[in-house]
Amino acid sequence: MLKIEGMDSCYGESRVIPGLDMNIEKGKIVCLIGRNGVGKSTTLKSIMGLVKTPAGKILLDGEDIIKIPTYDRVKKGIGYVPQGRDIFPQMTVMENLELGLQPLGGKGRIPDYIYELFPILPKFAKRKGGDLSGGQQQQLAIARALVASPKILILDEPTEGIQPSVIQDIGRAIRKINRELGITVLIVEQYLEFVLGISDYIYLMKKGMIELKGNTSELQAEYVQQVMTE
Amino acid sequence: MTLVNTLFNGLSLSSIILLTSLGLAITFGLMRVINMAHGEFLMIGAYMTYVVQELFSKFFPEQIQSAYYFAAIIVSFAVTFALGCIMEKFIVSRLYGREIDSLLATWGISLILQQAARSIFGTQGVNVNAPSFLQGGLNIGSCTFSYNRMFIIGITIFCMLIIWAVMYKMNFGRQMRAVMQNRPMAQCMGINSKKVDMITFALGSGLAGIAGCSVALLGSIDSTVGQSYIVNSFIAVVLGGVGSLTGTVLGSGIIGFASIIFEKYTSSSIAKAVVLLIIIVVLQFRPNGLFTIRSRSLDE
Repeated sequence: MLKIEGMDSCYGESRVIPGLDMNIEKGKIVCLIGRNGVGKSTTLKSIMGLVKTPAGKILLDGEDIIKIPTYDRVKKGIGYVPQGRDIFPQMTVMENLELGLQPLGGKGRIPDYIYELFPILPKFAKRKGGDLSGGQQQQLAIARALVASPKILILDEPTEGIQPSVIQDIGRAIRKINRELGITVLIVEQYLEFVLGISDYIYLMKKGMIELKGNTSELQAEYVQQVMTE
Repeated sequence: MTLVNTLFNGLSLSSIILLTSLGLAITFGLMRVINMAHGEFLMIGAYMTYVVQELFSKFFPEQIQSAYYFAAIIVSFAVTFALGCIMEKFIVSRLYGREIDSLLATWGISLILQQAARSIFGTQGVNVNAPSFLQGGLNIGSCTFSYNRMFIIGITIFCMLIIWAVMYKMNFGRQMRAVMQNRPMAQCMGINSKKVDMITFALGSGLAGIAGCSVALLGSIDSTVGQSYIVNSFIAVVLGGVGSLTGTVLGSGIIGFASIIFEKYTSSSIAKAVVLLIIIVVLQFRPNGLFTIRSRSLDE
């Protein structure tokens, strides 16, 4: 589905990720974990084309997308939920959702499964996005990324600043998105319990490189915890 | 002068300021580009009106001469829209987030455009004849409402409705608002932000062209005609609150009505000073203008 080969990521002249390799298999929920500042969010931004990637390949279903602009990557089937959610605060919930139709030319209607996944959204349809709580904004951000039925959904720290009961709701929704809609999911996360409960495969990142990887069921939680805290 | 006449003049002046501010409300208010050449787009719109008038008088029969003005509105918009596209693509797009640089560059363009106008049309002002249906005025009792001023009020309302429809009823408006609020996220929604920037800037420039077409009815056109309107326009946008179209409407209204009312009781220059004083006081208490909208500028 999504394969990263020897990708370098740079901020200006500074190379923060040297030669990254990752393989996200179709239909899986893959988590990229690691401590603060190791390059997890930069990896996602690189996949989206928001950070310079002077070398390597990003293959989406075999097609190298590393040189195409961000908006075309989205049209090819990548849905992105950034850290901090980045909903459009001055727009209504409905307008935010309708922005999700842009990869389809801004036409069409919001699919019913969006409201089945997030039943809270229709109630707030006319409310400004900026007036929603953190948890509601997160649901809106995920819903918005799903509107155009992407092949892969990328989420950057979806549990950040969210209360525990809503984290469970978000976890359930992500599982449903993966199992029922067949959408591959890549999550960057630091909340280990959430990661172990949701993922099929884990990549552990350290200083811009992959330190450890494997099926979630085969990795020892204690060891992962140790690496993340050391 | 009766109260009704005073109010009509206030409304008329407000609509002229608003019409010249609408384009600026988009390029400066939403995009945060200080375009010093905005007044020159207005000038180009005014000169285009003159050019279309001359072409009509040469090539079209007498019966349809008055229709030149409608053609002039379209031509003014089209020419300034196209120039706006070119200017954004080759100059402004390279200067986003560099306010001083863009101010200096657009000021340079403004000087070039003024000189070009002097070279093409001469240093003497040229005049546009109002079409026959805009000559004269409507007399009600002791009040006279001139047709061309009523027409400008109509154009202003029409332009506002168009902007409202584009921004809130069309997909492009949604794209535009998304790009102005959060550029990287808008790209992550599948929006080509560079294209949206170019069309937004061109739209603002095109509105300046229509404003130029309107002010051509009010007096002589020369290379500095834009300069006489641009200061009030910047003030209206800042007073209303940068980024808020509603604020621009209110800002234009305050300047227009206050100018006419103070002019009635004092003199023209005292009225200008009083209006500026009011604006200074307002901005002391509301430094972000009357309406504040949190909108990310292009470099954020």
